Amino acid sequence: MADVLELLTEPLRYPFMIRGLLASLMVGTLCSVVGTYVVLRGMAFFGDALAHAILPGVAVAYLLDANLFWGALGMGLLTALGIGYVSRRGQVKEDTAIGVVFAASFALGVALLSTVQSYSVDLAHILFGNVLGVSDADLWLTAGLGVTVLLAVVLFYKELLVISFDPVLAATLRLPLNALHYLLLVLIALTIVVSLQTVGVALMVAMLVTPAATAYLLTRRLWHMMIVGATVGAVSSAAGLYLSFYINVASGSAVVLVCTAFFALAMLFAPRRGLVWGWLRRG
Amino acid sequence: MAPVLSVRNLTVSYNGKHALEKVSFDVQKGERVAIVGPNGSGKSTLFKALVGLLHPKTGHVQADGAEIGYVVQRSAVDWDFPVTVHDVVMMGRIGKMGWLRWQRLQDRRIVRRCLAQVGMAEHASQQIGELSGGQQQRVFIARALAQEATILLMDEPFSGVDAPSQEAIMEILDRLRDQGVTVLLSTHDLNLAAERFDRLALLNRQLVAYGPPRQAINPQTLAAAYGGQAVWRGEDYAMVLGDIDCCGEEGHHHG
Repeated sequence: MADVLELLTEPLRYPFMIRGLLASLMVGTLCSVVGTYVVLRGMAFFGDALAHAILPGVAVAYLLDANLFWGALGMGLLTALGIGYVSRRGQVKEDTAIGVVFAASFALGVALLSTVQSYSVDLAHILFGNVLGVSDADLWLTAGLGVTVLLAVVLFYKELLVISFDPVLAATLRLPLNALHYLLLVLIALTIVVSLQTVGVALMVAMLVTPAATAYLLTRRLWHMMIVGATVGAVSSAAGLYLSFYINVASGSAVVLVCTAFFALAMLFAPRRGLVWGWLRRG
Repeated sequence: MAPVLSVRNLTVSYNGKHALEKVSFDVQKGERVAIVGPNGSGKSTLFKALVGLLHPKTGHVQADGAEIGYVVQRSAVDWDFPVTVHDVVMMGRIGKMGWLRWQRLQDRRIVRRCLAQVGMAEHASQQIGELSGGQQQRVFIARALAQEATILLMDEPFSGVDAPSQEAIMEILDRLRDQGVTVLLSTHDLNLAAERFDRLALLNRQLVAYGPPRQAINPQTLAAAYGGQAVWRGEDYAMVLGDIDCCGEEGHHHG
């Protein structure tokens, strides 16, 4: 028992591990709650694209020696609203519009970064996150924006629920569908920007989708799905970080792999929706 | 008496093609109207225009402040969505609750009462995908009631629903009529429309006929609505032959 406790406390002797753990827990929770809508509305591709499309903003901030966060935020909001606008115009299908915008934006970001000497190291940090490089200022920013996003999810819970489940009802109730749709896009963009340093661009979609998808298999009400998803996300983040500490693998990958293991378990053993449940009922 | 719903010269087009052309009719309070016509005749389009989801090219809809509840085709709903029966009916209260407000005791009471009205009270905590087709329709009727709708639009509620469930829904509609709720319901079942409804609207992009069933249905109007596919059977009304998709759901090919 004392050994287990020591296993858990040992990494916390390092301040960077404490900051990393706090950041991971916050990001894991936030991504999973917002990810609930990403999963239910089939926006996984949008989330993945948005994470990548942020790159030029990060690159410009980097070149100007400004805070990367603000570059990411500006670009994230711009892309989210841009994709929302293009897909609403309806000249091409939404996933096509996303594909065009995201690849172009990512290419631009890589091009900008490639002008810098230390290109490959910086790109790796942006792509895969650098949770152990989280500063106190980063933590406060993550906490502040994270709480803002969660507050919006709570305050607009019933409206976001109805535009996701039944846009027709939302329209007959004269809810401002477009404004709510954009609100959701902005919340997703903020979540991605806040999570950038911890998770990185490439694995972002996993944090948005996997814990929420696990919760989807286990629950039958939206807010249950959010709570279960947040728990899965937070536990995976912490477990992943410890794993990376002890077996020395990249922290982002470790977090995503733990998440995926939870998802696999849910897929097999979830009541009602799980595979084993299905076999038992048929057998 | 002034009509509760008045449609004038309504033309709606999709991609330049008219889905509805110059449709005009009035509905009185408490009346039950069946909208009948072949696939693609504009039944769903009419409903969407009535609730303001589609903007008419010409003409207008007047429903003097009446709240309209819209029960969409079952194929248009994601039945795997994590919501319970109670959650779905509570959505009808959102308009009354207002922004930044949480549900109150009053709302919960209304939701329970509306569920009881359609005989679904004991299913409140079930996820909606666990219900039968007829039960799902009843839940959506309850939601329209929670919305305090006085006009109820039902799009193909009987497709894929067995006869006892259909009868249960008709009984609910009978009770709603006593409360002054007006119902417009689209169906492929011409006999049901003729027997159980006050008025029948025969639609084929244009309004071919509108009135009490015995007046609205005759060989000429049926031929105009269904082309050569309808067969006139005299006093016993009619049957429609060869309307190949008659029992499918119109939203089918989308999914």
